Amino acid sequence: MEPESKKRKGMEYDPDSWQVLPVLSDEMSDDVEFLDAFAAPITDKRQTSRLVKDLSAVHPISDLQHIRRVRPCKDKSSPHPLEVIVCLVSDVPHIKGRPASLGDLLSSDEFNLEGLGEPFPVRIPARAPLTRPQFEQASLHWPTSFHEDKRITLGLKGQLFTSRQKTKIHEYMTLAVEAAKSGREEGMDAVGGVIVDPKSGRIVAVGHDLTRDHPLHHAVMVCIDLVAWAQGGGVYGYEKHPACTYAAMDHQVQTGASGSVENAQPYICTGYELYVTREPCVMCAMALVHSRIGRVFYGVPSPDGALGTKFKIHCQKGLNHHFDVYQGVRRRSCEELVQLT
Amino acid sequence: MRTDDTGNDGMNGNFLHPSDSEIQKWMSNAFNMAKEALECGEVPVGCLLVYNNTVLGKGRNEVNETKNATRHAEMVALDQVLDWCSDRGMDPKVVCKSTVLYVTVEPCITCAAALRLLHVPLVVYGCKNERFGGCGSVLDVASGDLPHTGTSFKCVPGHRAQEAVDMLKTFYKQENPNVTKPKVRKEGIDPAGGSRTTQTEAAPLEDDRKMATSD
Repeated sequence: MEPESKKRKGMEYDPDSWQVLPVLSDEMSDDVEFLDAFAAPITDKRQTSRLVKDLSAVHPISDLQHIRRVRPCKDKSSPHPLEVIVCLVSDVPHIKGRPASLGDLLSSDEFNLEGLGEPFPVRIPARAPLTRPQFEQASLHWPTSFHEDKRITLGLKGQLFTSRQKTKIHEYMTLAVEAAKSGREEGMDAVGGVIVDPKSGRIVAVGHDLTRDHPLHHAVMVCIDLVAWAQGGGVYGYEKHPACTYAAMDHQVQTGASGSVENAQPYICTGYELYVTREPCVMCAMALVHSRIGRVFYGVPSPDGALGTKFKIHCQKGLNHHFDVYQGVRRRSCEELVQLT
Repeated sequence: MRTDDTGNDGMNGNFLHPSDSEIQKWMSNAFNMAKEALECGEVPVGCLLVYNNTVLGKGRNEVNETKNATRHAEMVALDQVLDWCSDRGMDPKVVCKSTVLYVTVEPCITCAAALRLLHVPLVVYGCKNERFGGCGSVLDVASGDLPHTGTSFKCVPGHRAQEAVDMLKTFYKQENPNVTKPKVRKEGIDPAGGSRTTQTEAAPLEDDRKMATSD
């Protein structure tokens, strides 16, 4: 199949002019939560290790493993280069937000206050940051450890995919857009999808919405059934819909991208990629979980969408299959399709 | 919640909530289907869609033969309802709005969304589906605020739940004797008045591939 984008190359397509962005779990995309705490300057540097040890005994913060108890003072002109967390506000419920003196936080009978200055309120991140933006936000308040996932950092910057990969992504989505238009000409909703085996680059199925014929035949459900046909199964007939196609498997062997020959009897959509013009609904999103899809790219969000908008089925806790989701591919063309419907 | 207003559309008009004896009758029918399936070595889930005291759809899981992981019993039965409507030139929405689903296991998230999209107002089920359930176990698609995804529906859970669980357990024991017995989390004691849910217990855990055929 000759991708549409090649014909139009130079006119509307430039891989650097658009971004593919990951749809991350709430834990990764939410703002950092903070806990209120009191810190104090260390006025005598030689007391530092003793103070940390004693404070940890009186006010442990062992459930906040990501927090460094001591930080360098942000104000470089300060005579005291270090500051230490004395306690969480929740450790001293009797303080009730009043400006506290050291004596309110630590009993001078039991605690050697030597080397500790007057306390001040700070906010410390409640849990370890999962992304670089969260890390940067958290670090504005108090230093925290961070185990960076480089793929996520690149993804959030829209730099995970190379220009060549983006060209492929663009091509596949172009096929989905064309399928959506074909469906529209049949009076269907203008939604299209393509399922690809990324190992071989083979296009396994191209489909579009068929809800005028069957209320549950959303584009994704159609694509899933077309993959079943490609594997010798399948439920519904698509003779009347020429834009709904599948490529039957060579049953014997399949050559992987590495050139190795493997006895591949594919199991439903395992390892496959879906390109779909708009965010799938909850029925379709869960159908993709059941089908073990590898990853999903979509053009634009939809109001009840289940891969980012209303639910994040692809990273839903309790489900036994998770996958990566990216959005923003051919956004403008996909938005235009939504206008058609 | 907002959906409560729109969600009960189907309960108005000519839809009558089934009586206890009707529920027992149809569920007994569904359990017989599940038992038959078990005896044939198939996933023991039975389901029927009943409209005006007539069974319009009866489904059994067809995932393996179709290689389509969405061919759960409910989806198969819903297709029969749609065929019935098209044969008679009837509007599926009108028919589904007066149709009840009786099923031995809580519908999964996909099936729950499909039931919403077709405006089925009521689902009576046996045991919970802890791994994929769309009526509260994993997600509450049934009553969720999804204004663009059909109509929310009501559930009557826990009907002969223990029996439904036992059938699933028996099936998975036959299917794969090598798998160590899965942990089954028993539900706590139900609050007073929850007579229908006292039998609710989780379906057993299975390995991935088989689960695709079973929920």
